Formats: sequence, C-alpha cells, structure tokens
Amino acid sequence: MTAVTEKVPERPPVKGTEDSGLLRFVKKPIVARLLFPTLVIALWVFVDSLEISRVFPAPDRVLGFMWDELRLETLARTNLYETLGISLLRLFAGFAVSMVVGTAIGLGMGLSKSVDAFFHDWVMAILAMPALVWALFLGLVFGFGSTGPVLATILAGIPFVIINVREGVRNTPRELFDMASAFDVPRNRMTRHLLIPSLMPFMFAAARYGFSVGWKGLVLAEVFASDRGMGWMIKFWYDAHRSFAVVGYAFFFVIFAFFLEKFVFDKLYARAFKWRPAVGAIELVEEEIQESFIDALDPEGAQTLPDRDRLGDN
Amino acid sequence: MAQIKIDNLRKEFGVGDDKVVALQNVNLEIEGDVFVSIVGPSGCGKSTLLNILSGIETPSSGKVEITQDRHDANPGYVFQAARLLPWRTVMDNLLFVQKDPDSEEARARCQKYLDMVHLGDKGDKYPGELSGGMQQRVGIARAFAVEPDVLFMDEPFSHLDAITARSLRRELHEMWAATGKTILFVTHDVGEAVELSNRILVFAKGGKLEDDINVELPFPRDAANEEVAVAKAQVLKKFEDLDLVAT
Repeated sequence: MTAVTEKVPERPPVKGTEDSGLLRFVKKPIVARLLFPTLVIALWVFVDSLEISRVFPAPDRVLGFMWDELRLETLARTNLYETLGISLLRLFAGFAVSMVVGTAIGLGMGLSKSVDAFFHDWVMAILAMPALVWALFLGLVFGFGSTGPVLATILAGIPFVIINVREGVRNTPRELFDMASAFDVPRNRMTRHLLIPSLMPFMFAAARYGFSVGWKGLVLAEVFASDRGMGWMIKFWYDAHRSFAVVGYAFFFVIFAFFLEKFVFDKLYARAFKWRPAVGAIELVEEEIQESFIDALDPEGAQTLPDRDRLGDN
Repeated sequence: MAQIKIDNLRKEFGVGDDKVVALQNVNLEIEGDVFVSIVGPSGCGKSTLLNILSGIETPSSGKVEITQDRHDANPGYVFQAARLLPWRTVMDNLLFVQKDPDSEEARARCQKYLDMVHLGDKGDKYPGELSGGMQQRVGIARAFAVEPDVLFMDEPFSHLDAITARSLRRELHEMWAATGKTILFVTHDVGEAVELSNRILVFAKGGKLEDDINVELPFPRDAANEEVAVAKAQVLKKFEDLDLVAT
C-alpha cells in the first residue's frame, strides 16, 4: 500500500537538453509577458531615431502629453476626466440596454423556433453592417449629442449578446433538466438554480463582447455624431495635427480597457465560477486508483481511511 | 410500502418509417420492499421504462401506476452519470431536490444520507472536487434523501471501475436493507443483477418482457460464492435460450 503513495524520485534531465540561464529567465511567464511591450517600445524608439517623418509621434512626446492630460493641462475644451466620464456614461447606458434587450431576444430565440425565425435575418443584418455606417447614419439623423453614440453602442453590441444568449439556451444541459423533472423540482427553482447558472458562461461571453464591440461603436460614433467624448477628442487632436495626442488618447483607451478586464470582468468571473475544480485531473485519477487499491486490499476498512480526505482540500 | 402496476404499456419514438418501438405489451406488478433488476440487450427499452415510470417520458399507450405510503413523495432516481449541478456544493445538490430545501429538517435528512454513503464531511465540496465514484455516491445519497418508497436506478455503476463499482454495490445493498425501498435497477450486467436482486426482469429487443425470474438466495451475496455463480449461469442460460446474447 505504501508503494502507491510513495513519491517517485525525480529523474535528472538528459544531458544537452537543459535550458541555458538566459533562456530560463526569458521563459518565466512574468518576463515573457513584459518582453513584448519592451520590444515594442524599443522598436518605437528605434523608428523615431530614424527621423522618417516630422509628425511621427515620439515616445517622450506621447508620454509628456499623457502626463499633461492627467494633470488637467489641456488645450481641448474638456479635460481627460470629463471626456472619459461622458464616454463611460454613454457606454454604460448603451451596454445596459444591449444586455437587457439582447438577453430577452436571445432567450426568446433559444426557446422558440418562430421567435428565432422572426429575428434571425435582422440580427445577421445588424451584425454585417459596418459600425462606420451606423456612425454616419446616426450622426445625420440625430445630430451632435448623446443619442447617436448611445444607439451606436447598442447596435454594435446587441447582436453579440443575442447570439451568445441564444447559444447558451440551446446548450443548456438536457440531462440536468431531466434529473430535475424526475425529482419534480418546481419550475422557479429550476430556473434559478439550473437555467441561470448554466447560462452564466454565455452571459459572460455576451458581456465581454458586448462591452468591447460597443466601446468601438461608441468611439466611432463620437467622431461623427458628437461634440464631446473620447472619439470626438481623438478627432480634435487629429484635426490639430498632433499625432502624439492621438496616440496618447488611444493609450488611455487601452489602459482603461485593461483595467476593466483585470479588475472587473476577471473578478466577476472568478466569483461566478468558483465552483470550477481547483484540483488537477491527474490528482483525481490518482485518488481513484488509490481508492481501488485500498478497497481491494481492505474491503471493510476502505471507507474510513484518512487518505480519502485529502482530495479537494488544496 | 409501494406498489407499481404497469398495464399494457407501449412506447414508440419517431413517426412513419422512422418509428421505433421501445416497449410493447408490458404488463407487470411489483409490490413491497423488493430489489428488482431489469436486464436485456442494448436498446430493449430498459431505460425508457424507468423514464416513463419517473415521468420524464410519457407512454404512447397503456397505463403505469405507482402507489406509495407517503403520497407526497416522489420516486428517487439514480442516473448512469451522477448528474449533479457542478455549480452547487454536494449538500446543496441534495437540497435542490428536496420538497422543503430551506428547512433544518431537510438539511439534517441530507446529512444523514451523506453519512450513509461515507461522504458526511464532503457536504461543502463542489462535485468537480470529487472522484467519479464519490460523485455517484452523492447521486445515491440524493435519491435516498427524498425518502421515497420507490427508487429507480439506471445502470448507476456502469461508468465506474470494477472495484469501485463492487464497493458501491455493497453500500447500496446495505442501504436498501436498512431503509426498505422498492428498487428498480437497470443493468446490462447479469452478475450484478444476480448479486443484488430478489427478482430479475428480462427484456428482449423490441421492448418485450420475456422472463420474470425470482432469485431466492440469502443476502449478502458474494460473486465468488458458488450458489451465486450457479444462479448467474442459469440466468445467462435463459438469455441464450431466448437468443438475447449478442453475437
């Protein structure tokens, strides 16, 4: 029995296959992650040093511009925080509508063939329409204001929400619903504890897509159909021939999206899916084998061995 | 005590040329705390019969009737795969099918059956943290925890390795002896049927009930025991006589 639990000594690596010190350092995940932006910055500095164009945004000018913007020193009529505030408000309004309406339509399409037939072609048509067309069209119809950008956010994001939710409903685990029916579980409990949790991965995908695609739709609409917001600001710096400012604002974008992903979506995801097993499949297999061995050797005492408690505690 | 009456049951799937008869002319009566195994080749309607009895499917014609002492109790069901909600803990999985999931009584009842399957300390684990054998134990505890008079089991051990399955068979039998239920147990393993049952129903392809065998041997039965081996050989011989053995 001891042979089962005994640790096998690690085999020394075959000569000639060991990584050199530098390669080992580069292969570390954190180093590998930082290596790419470092290389991009190095390339950027190099290209800048070639002095190809007068308008090429030099790294120091971009950083200087961003620093000024952060300190509210700007030539534009709204500062960074006001601009971000305006765009975020529009984004959240559009995103909320996309999620609520998209989820309702997606549920309907997943549950009913006729509802699916009714919406299908329109969803595909909206999906196929370039965001630029929406931006131009909404600008013409609604003029400068918030209506155009919010509608653009909705139109860009809603097809992704609808499609994800519909697929979620179509992929609900049939065998779990059969189990619940066999035990006569009430419908509202089934909805709350079975349908909604099984839709969660699809809802997360819907939210992520809806948000990122909605964000792009919004910025484009702000260029053409607004006189405020992040998109308008990029257009403002473009008109002023300040390429470093255009790049600087784009970086603000990227940084914001990164923080949102890392500190909102990732946290929510970890919370919603804490049930996903933390133990590896290999440990499970080991446990199963051990269980079989113990059972075979000592059928009566098999259930009381403390080794069985090991699983899942790490 | 429970009584199950099946009267001229028929079940068809599909229409026209695609029509498949899963069950036909099934007449049956089961009464009391008996362990009944249903055996037969693949596609003979064994699982369909359980699905109809548990209400997952409806019969095409005929009648099924289940009478239990506790009128509010639903039959328990143990599936081939454990069918646990992966996002709920073991305890919450048991509570999910309870009539009164928020009550202390329900929690105590679930704990009692988790203890019986030796998983009393695993209530706060998620199914993904347990091995296949442990998950199936949770499935068994869930079925017993609704305290039904009738329990349906659809090849519950067929996904497990032989030794884990053997250990679970023994546990199940002890639970049956301790709680006194009517158990309908679908299996394709004649040895398993002989080891566990008082009565074996043999189904043939096309969903016909071909034979109804009483196994009158004392429990517990060990597969290695000569009498059990002889009984198994006799049932297998009936399989051959009925031409049910796959070639």
